[in-house]
Amino acid sequence: MTTTRRQFLAMASMGAAGLGLAGCSRGDTGDGDGGGGGGGGGDGDSTSLTLTWWGNPTRNQNTTDAIDAFTTENPNFSIEAQPGEWASYWDRLATQTAGNTAPDIIQMDMAYISEYGQRGALLDLAEYGLDTSKFIEGTADSGVIEGTNYGVNAGINSPSVLFNAAMFEELGVDLPDDTTWTWDDWLTTAIAITEASGGEIIGTTAFISNDVMLSAWLRQRGKELFIEGNQPGFDVSDITEWLEYHLQFADAGAMPSASQITEEASLPFDQGRLLTGTAAMSMYWSNQLDAAEAAGGTEYAMLRYPSFDGDATTRKAWYKASMLWSASARTENPEAAVEVINWWVNSTEAAEICLSERGIPANGEIAEHISSMLSDPQQRVAAFIADIEPELGDTPIAPPPGGGQLGSLLLRYSSDLLFDKLTVEEAATGFYDELVTSLGG
Amino acid sequence: MSALSELSKLRTGGHQTPEQRAARRKETSRDNRAGYAFLAPWLVGLFAFTIGPMLASLYLSFTDYNLIQSPNFTGFDNIVRMLGDDRLHQSLRVTFTYVLVGVPLQLIVALGIALLLNKGMRGLPFYRSVFYLPSMLGGSVAVSLLWRQIFGTDGLINQLLRALGVDATIGYVSHPDYALWTLILLHVWTFGSPMVIFLAGLRQIPTMYYEAAALDGANSRKIFLRVTLPLLSPIIFFNLVLQVIGAFQSFTQAFIVSGGSGGPSDSTLFYTLYLYERGFTNFQMGYASAMAWLLLVIIAAFTAINFFAAKYWVFYDD
Repeated sequence: MTTTRRQFLAMASMGAAGLGLAGCSRGDTGDGDGGGGGGGGGDGDSTSLTLTWWGNPTRNQNTTDAIDAFTTENPNFSIEAQPGEWASYWDRLATQTAGNTAPDIIQMDMAYISEYGQRGALLDLAEYGLDTSKFIEGTADSGVIEGTNYGVNAGINSPSVLFNAAMFEELGVDLPDDTTWTWDDWLTTAIAITEASGGEIIGTTAFISNDVMLSAWLRQRGKELFIEGNQPGFDVSDITEWLEYHLQFADAGAMPSASQITEEASLPFDQGRLLTGTAAMSMYWSNQLDAAEAAGGTEYAMLRYPSFDGDATTRKAWYKASMLWSASARTENPEAAVEVINWWVNSTEAAEICLSERGIPANGEIAEHISSMLSDPQQRVAAFIADIEPELGDTPIAPPPGGGQLGSLLLRYSSDLLFDKLTVEEAATGFYDELVTSLGG
Repeated sequence: MSALSELSKLRTGGHQTPEQRAARRKETSRDNRAGYAFLAPWLVGLFAFTIGPMLASLYLSFTDYNLIQSPNFTGFDNIVRMLGDDRLHQSLRVTFTYVLVGVPLQLIVALGIALLLNKGMRGLPFYRSVFYLPSMLGGSVAVSLLWRQIFGTDGLINQLLRALGVDATIGYVSHPDYALWTLILLHVWTFGSPMVIFLAGLRQIPTMYYEAAALDGANSRKIFLRVTLPLLSPIIFFNLVLQVIGAFQSFTQAFIVSGGSGGPSDSTLFYTLYLYERGFTNFQMGYASAMAWLLLVIIAAFTAINFFAAKYWVFYDD
């Protein structure tokens, strides 16, 4: 017959007990794993590490393959992979760090390395045997902040400007000569494209709030984005001029409108204007060429960014760590973490799997070793990186804590300017003051 | 159980021996224990996941906690900084506009549609579901993305306008004068859940009042104002309180539509969005905690005002 209330209660309580058991057993397994791993590490038979990175499908595959290769070679290691997406990566890392569960090995970005390093969340890699002896000059100290090595260069990058050469030809506009072009040429070229296409194609994507191009522009004026002591390395008048320069693009319709800039700020990589064919040039990091051509379905010309003097040797280019390998300061196995990092940056096995997806390896011998294995766009990037060596200036220092927000801060003030909510002077002053405040704390 | 014991009491009459009273007490305490046992999962959740974190955040709001280093007590520093924080004031302006305009508009639309649907039309369940659907979706990422497509510079609205020969170049979601209003429109569009509650409320109004009013020769406007509205006022009040609390906490729409920035020009910088930015992007979790408590105080104040004002306009039939 039907279930009586007593039977129902009995069943329900069994269910509840079952749930309780399930909860306990899950907890137990978790503890067991953690304890076992930690204990094993102490014994020296097995070391378990976690490794996190942000990326794209190609990088996820590379990284998983590399982890497999390493653990096959070193069976006493087990490495748990924690892949992520750039957009949510930093929220997760911040939460994990706050909760004392930061991964042992962390793919780090220059924008955040001070944030984490100077607050004591990252390990001093040099202390645990990091080997950068074969690194090309100027690449070994990317992650060194005030004498502590918080991260090691995972690949070399340099800022560049990508051109849709086919589009230039079609519209009858000449590609600039990138060894002699100037900032003003960027403006005239962009205007020429906009006019030649009857406004259908926008000359250049906006770089008014691009911290990389701002940095390049400032460096040629003898300034920097940041200087030691958590300060901006420029003053209000520099920003005023920068904004005025960009207003000329806006007035000529040679860059997207303020509304479009706002809408495009959060678009995924493959929907960038250059890649969808609605703009003719755009700033990209050199290691993005491969992904850009895959997404855009066409070949792009990779050119140097301009100079004031029309002489590329004065443009003060720099090699940047496209990303860095860091380790958590709270890792239980600092030596093991650094061993994995050393393998990643210095071994031919790792390089053969990852090639130059994270940028050209900073270890010169390794870069040489994989040079013939690279895809066509990767080879052009490698040539670009090699060619610009005589044009290098000093490497900019890592942004101080709070400095990673410079780009979004500049975006906010420049849209206020472009929407006529602020004058150039107000925008420049407001931006500068807020930046100083956010660097202060 | 306790209903059964009430019954047995009735049967035996008021007169009880001491043994019976002892047995009753025992039974009551057993009932209580069973009650707490059933409540336990909820109580554990309340203390572990609500009260605990709230107390922690109360403490953190008096510190400079940055998510990485252990917090230092800084007294009222955060509160002093909040007084001088222009973006915080902007975020309050945005949120108040959103609540004070969006909630009444949404309730008016919800009530209007509910009145229409209450006419007993054919296919009512279908219409009810169709109108309810947006409130299931409104706070979702997908709809916020859709909103961006519709109200963008090259979005659906502008394409329609251009087809009609209008030179439409403004991106509504990305222009500081319009962006917040597109979000308010999105909020109004999610009228489904208050609408369903209104429908249920309308069904509960006894038909005899309408019959009496019709006999007295009242027109439909009078009937609405003198019968429907007063009898529905408890439901309106319920919806108002819920929607105000919910609207203050809106986050997803602004986060997705503005790409997390609250832009353009901070015109969609909702309070919760700014709180999130402070906590997780700028590593100022102490400040963010203080902001969270201010939001709690604001919501509590609004709810209290609502309850106080209710005395003057909410009519309880019983």
